[in-house]
Amino acid sequence: MFMHILKYELKSGLRSKDMLIWLILFPILLGTVFKVGFGSIYEKTEKFNSIPIAVVEESENKAFRQVIENIGSAEQPFITASFTDREKAEKLLDDGEIEGIIFSGEKLRLTVKEKGLRETMLKSFVEQYSVREKIAMDAFETAPEKAQQVIESLTAETVSSCREIPVTQGNPDVYVQYFYNLIAMVAMFGCITGMTITSHRQADLSALGARSCCSPVPKSVSVLASLASSFLLQTVCMIICVTFLAFVLKVDFGDRLWLVYPTAIFGSILGVSFGFFIGSIARVNEKVKTAILMTTTMLLCFFSGLMVGNMKAVVAEKAPWFNNINPVAVISDCFYCLNIYEDYDRYFTKLITMAVTIVIFITLGIISSRRKKYASI
Amino acid sequence: MENTVVKIQDLVKRYGDLIALDHFSLEIKEGEIFGLLGPNGSGKTTTINCLLSLLSFDKGRIEIFGKEMTPVSYDIKKDIGIIMQNVAVFDELTVYENIDYFCGLYIKDKNKRKKCIDDAVKFVGLEDFVKFYPKKLSGGLLRRLNIACGIAHKPKLIILDEPTVAVDPQSRNRILEGIQELNKNGATIIYTSHYMEEVEQICTRISIMDKGKKVAEGTKDELKRMIKNTETIIIELLELPDKAYREIASLPHVYDSKFENGKLSVYCSGGKHNLTRVLEVLQKNELGFGRVYTELPTLNDVFLEITGTALRDKED
Ligand SMILES: Nc1ncnc2c1ncn2[C@@H]1O[C@H](COP(=O)(O)OP(=O)(O)O)[C@@H](O)[C@H]1O
Ligand SMILES: [Mg+2]
Repeated sequence: MFMHILKYELKSGLRSKDMLIWLILFPILLGTVFKVGFGSIYEKTEKFNSIPIAVVEESENKAFRQVIENIGSAEQPFITASFTDREKAEKLLDDGEIEGIIFSGEKLRLTVKEKGLRETMLKSFVEQYSVREKIAMDAFETAPEKAQQVIESLTAETVSSCREIPVTQGNPDVYVQYFYNLIAMVAMFGCITGMTITSHRQADLSALGARSCCSPVPKSVSVLASLASSFLLQTVCMIICVTFLAFVLKVDFGDRLWLVYPTAIFGSILGVSFGFFIGSIARVNEKVKTAILMTTTMLLCFFSGLMVGNMKAVVAEKAPWFNNINPVAVISDCFYCLNIYEDYDRYFTKLITMAVTIVIFITLGIISSRRKKYASI
Repeated sequence: MENTVVKIQDLVKRYGDLIALDHFSLEIKEGEIFGLLGPNGSGKTTTINCLLSLLSFDKGRIEIFGKEMTPVSYDIKKDIGIIMQNVAVFDELTVYENIDYFCGLYIKDKNKRKKCIDDAVKFVGLEDFVKFYPKKLSGGLLRRLNIACGIAHKPKLIILDEPTVAVDPQSRNRILEGIQELNKNGATIIYTSHYMEEVEQICTRISIMDKGKKVAEGTKDELKRMIKNTETIIIELLELPDKAYREIASLPHVYDSKFENGKLSVYCSGGKHNLTRVLEVLQKNELGFGRVYTELPTLNDVFLEITGTALRDKED
């Protein structure tokens, strides 16, 4: 019986125009619009611009000088350094010509003006170098003929390790945020499929519901079968959406793409549950409900920055709790964490938030649709 | 003896302050085509929804097949077929798939189900439309699909709530004949309508409802016997002198008469030779007349006499 209902729910869902439009065509279109709109920004930000710094030598540090020169001669230098004195360097920093000053002497010291990703990278460069310097110094003393080789490997290690630290393998560019939000939005559109389930199953919401309630199939079975079908349909939509973004539009989701899929699917389950919940508690007709859900979803998307990029930051400042409960923000944060952080801690925290929300929505939905007789039809 | 299929006792249903069903009782025997006749808003749909345990009610008891009906009475539900007043089909499934879906909720065996679906399709005459989507069907055909979805599993009790509303005459006749055929094949039928002609045409027993109350019940002949009027004689006349009119009005069995627009209407109650007697009076007075005909009472007259308002006046 479960399979019979599932089969027909799937059939009917796959043929539904709403689904085709909102869950497949709409994200493809919007994604394309984003891609075209961000095209130029994308080109620019994809290439890493080297960080201009000044090096002030307080005492001679041959190894460091060599490393800096090595870096400077690379094809895409991590930093471009000019050697100068303290006064000039400070002036350059004030004018914004450079982003940091490294004082080389007994120990390396770093001065920066602002705080940001690039400054963090500089800091970690200095730290990484200091750790490795000792090894290099030893090499100079014991085997001077190998000095060149040691410097080269020192350079490579330092650069690669500090490029990795804050940014890991992902692409931190702001514009990817839009695509994360887009996926989150499609996931949330699952609420419409979720809502249809309740309408099809409740006697007071539709003639179909009434007919379904008159059949000898227990409601729990038919509701679960329909939920399962929505989850499956939504999964298909998410796979299409992510695949389109990643492989057709070539949006760079970092090298954890394989995790983007399940995350998106998980997000869509959240969307379906949300619709199922709203569908069960709000006793109004389907058209009104669809309107309510679409508006809610769009609002949530707005607050998570789908339309205005820095909206999420604004919300984070004014009402940080809202980003934690806004399902769209939670889903898109999930992708962000996946992309940005080396470890999985924050990613899992977001996943757990999602799981808890799903359980709450479904439980409340089932409780309020469990009612067997209606006072009014 | 005949078995009682449906028994409704003292049903009371309120929507807020509105009393939709007021101590309504009903008993339907196996093999009947039971008509529930009443104007819009009289509580027919409410009765059906209570019967199916979709609606909660304030008071009363409902039994189907001798067992109390509850929302989880799956063994009762499997033998019921419902055709709701609103069409309930999936827009994204074809005619065939729709019937298969609903039939499949009752019959698991695929081969048995296939046969049932084919029967149902043939029964409602949708053979040429099995691959159509509901949107492409005309109102009448859609209603027929709605019926096919409700009866494909060959239920013992079939409930039809106004299945002919907004249906063309051809589909309507087909539906009415179909209902009689289902009944011949052994199903008990509950049929609600506000069209008295339909109810008169097919129902073996009728309950007339008004404002949530049962106002009369019986076979159509029984119902008609309940009222005073047995026939109405209508004669077309050019003129009718007062004397002759008074003579006619005082004939035995005549309880009312009127002369308007060249038409004399004589309302009779019982008696055998009413027409002859009226014509004798006219001849005696040497009055020429045109067309003469008599009308037998309709359910509308029954309703009119019992409630004081015409059934027709209340239609949509
Ligand atoms: N959900 C409802 N809420 C309030 N009143 C209702 C509701 N459904 C029906 N009614 C009222 O109950 C009465 C009976 O309605 P209904 O059973 O639909 O009549 P019928 O099917 O005979 O046309 C009507 O007066 C109608 O307005
Ligand atoms: Mg009705």
